[in-house]
Parts: sequence; structure tokens; C-alpha cells
Amino acid sequence: MTPFEKYDIAHLSPSSCNTFTAAPAAFILQKCMKKNSPVGPAAHRGTSAESGVVFGLINPDASVDECIAVAKDEYNALTALIFDGSVDKERNSIGDFVRMGLAELRPYGIPSSTQGHISVEVEGLSVPLIGYYDFEWEHKGILIDLKTSHQLPSKIKQPHARQVSLYKAARGDNLSARISYVTPKKTATYELENYREHLKALETVALTIQRFLSLSDDPLELCSFVVPDVDSFYFNDPLTRQAVFETWGL
Amino acid sequence: MALGFNFASADNGEIIPIIKYDARSGRISRRDRVDGINDETDITNTFKAIFDFENIETGTINFNTGSAPDFAVVRIGEQIPPPPTPDHKPGARILIKLSKENGGDIRELASNAKSFLRGLNALHDDYISGVVANKGKLPVVEAGKAIGISTGEGARKSTNYSPNFKIVSWVDRPADLVYIPKSRNAAASSAGYPPSTGGTKVSAPSDDYVPGFDEDDDFG
Repeated sequence: MTPFEKYDIAHLSPSSCNTFTAAPAAFILQKCMKKNSPVGPAAHRGTSAESGVVFGLINPDASVDECIAVAKDEYNALTALIFDGSVDKERNSIGDFVRMGLAELRPYGIPSSTQGHISVEVEGLSVPLIGYYDFEWEHKGILIDLKTSHQLPSKIKQPHARQVSLYKAARGDNLSARISYVTPKKTATYELENYREHLKALETVALTIQRFLSLSDDPLELCSFVVPDVDSFYFNDPLTRQAVFETWGL
Repeated sequence: MALGFNFASADNGEIIPIIKYDARSGRISRRDRVDGINDETDITNTFKAIFDFENIETGTINFNTGSAPDFAVVRIGEQIPPPPTPDHKPGARILIKLSKENGGDIRELASNAKSFLRGLNALHDDYISGVVANKGKLPVVEAGKAIGISTGEGARKSTNYSPNFKIVSWVDRPADLVYIPKSRNAAASSAGYPPSTGGTKVSAPSDDYVPGFDEDDDFG
């Protein structure tokens, strides 16, 4: 039985690898103890805004307002049971995210695929690395992942570089892999550099997770090897925070 | 494969066991990993090996990485890259095939210790002289008593030992002594600092852009 089978983990993703890197305790809670943190309004905003942008890209004649409506409908459905003050705040910004996203990406034309599933085998790793890229324009040799945030970074963030490097590895070395950062007021699309190094970094994280899981069959013993930073946003949710307290006493 | 590069092996992280030369004592040992533990056997007095001088690599090496050493070396005759970090010191790496008495396997011998390099350089001089009459062959090398070299004075005096290698015969290249260029590991490939992620803004290509097509291409 592999370390992953012990914990019923069928695959890793850039997201789970980034969680392990940033907050190993959160990884154990989610993947080993199956205590998933609820998705917050900010994450739902990102998902919904992306849906609005996708709609606008594959329907080039659709108005921006129609695209925003698609995004808001999805957001309302996803947050219907979240009673949090930030729900309205995020809803109010969705329109601007969609508008800016379309302005940045519509010049690329209609993507040849969206939300494309990829799976990459890593030597020595007993589960595949999987992911879903946002947009590909195969005929133009361009792949883009969309990130919405309230602040515009001046360069690609490391976790995003690792994520997109995986997509490039799966879809082809010759692709121009890019990340579009969209805020309500600004956009910037950056081209990924040094993709092999970032892919190697992702593989290193994945293999580290494998070694870590092999230390014990008992998730509580794994917990004893790490300490959560309870101020991290990974533990913002009250239920997750409670789980941290019950597990670590912190 | 026309150029003979084995890309798969170059990147698969295959580890060649090593021979260690301790410049502080002038001793030679073979290091074997047994059940995850390094096991060293002194072979100074019996040392005998075929040296692959045709493919010796030179450049700079950093042994103080905290993990695996970082080799910024190239095959002799190629352009030596600049040291990736101030911790990279001039050094050399060479494949050798040990005699049966010493195990008979292929090993890697590398060092950036000046005293070692002096002895290796002297041996290389002997190789250059001898290979003229032994074209295509490789030297069989034994180790005489190491030569002590003292530096400093008083409390700061220290002695290091240069290997006293001697060519005792020449042989055809053994079938298992195969040189495969190694790529530097990922951590080192960015010249000793973290790789950039990308901060260059790009925009959508123009409508008539077709990747990989050059207007000057002539397919006729």
C-alpha cells in the first residue's frame, strides 16, 4: 500500500501541493483527516467571475452585462448558504472583475478549450499530478490561467508559476504559458519564465508529501510533526479553526 | 541520439557511487550506501583503477550546499561556465573503474581541494605524455605514498596531502566505463538563485499571428 492509498488520496494537484507548502497542518486536516474547509466568498467570487469570462469568450457577441449576469447567477447559487458580511462585498465586485477579464482576454479570440483536464506522471510519485487549465488557444500556442484578486501583483507568484508549469508540461513545451491577473480596476498578463525549474519545484513538493505521508498510518501522528499558524487564512473558517483547536490544542 | 547524448540518463538523477580522497590524511576510500547509511572502506594501500581522462570534467564545484554537491563542470575542452556562486571552487570530476581487488565497479572521483588537484594535474600530465604512444587507451593508475604539503606557520600551520598517482599500464576502454554528461540539478540550473517566475507583461497576438511560421520560410 502506497502512502497515498493509506489516506485514500488518488492524486495531487498544484493546489494541494501549494497548501502543503504554505500550511502542512491544513493539508493534513483536508487530505488525511478529511476535514475540508468550506470555500469562502472570495474563492466563489473567483470561480464565478471566471465563468462570466468564459461565457464572454466563447460567445464573442454576448454583451458584458450578459457575462456579468452569468457570473452573478453562479455566485448567488454558490453563496446561498453563506452568511458572511463579505458575501455582498465580493458580489459587488464581480461585475468589474468580469469586465476587466473580458477586456484582457477577448483580444485573444475564442479559446480552443477551457477548463482542460491534464494529468502528469512524475517518476517516483505513486499518484498523478492533475489540474485544470483555464484557457487554451491551441492555434496560437497560448495557454492562460486567470487569477482574480483585489491587488495586482507585479510578477507571477511562485505557487502560480508551479501550477502553470504543470499545464505547460502537459500541453506542450512550445506553448506560451501565461497568467492573467485581474483586479476590479487593472489587469496584467505575465508570461511564465523558467518553467522547467518551477515544474521541478512542484515535483519536489509532491515527492516531499509522499515521504511525509509515509511517516505514519495515523493522521494524528502526522499532526504531531507540524504546528499550524492559526492566524493563517487557511484556518479562518470557524469550523476549521475549531478542528485545529481540537487537534493541536492551539 | 546522433550526438550520443543520453538525455534520459542525464536527467534521471542516477547516482554513481563515489571514491573519496581525504586531502587532510591522504587516504582513499570507497563509499557505499548500505541500508541508507554511508559505509566507507579505506582502499589507499590497494588502490588501482582505470581513469577516464578522455572525459574528465573541470569547472567549479560547491561541496558546501548542505545536501548534494553542485557541479558546474564540463567535459575537458568545452567552455567552462562561470562559478554560479562564491562557494563554487575550481575542481574536477572523473569516472574511474576500480580494480577487481577494490570492487571492480565504476566510481566517480571529484574534489576541489587544491592538494588533490595538484596530484591529479600531475597525473594528467603523465597521461598527456603517455597517450601519444597509447592512442585510444586509458591509463591504469596506482597510488603511491601521498605527499604532505604544509602551509602557514605556528598555530596556523596545516598539512594537506597530494595524491601520488602513477600510471602503471594502459588498457582498452572497458565496456562499462561509459561517460554520460550530467545536467546540473534544478536547484543549481538557475545559477545559484531562485528562478524568476515572470514579470514581463504580454498581450494578445495580432489576428494574423501564426505560431512557428516565418514569412521568409520557403516550403516550395
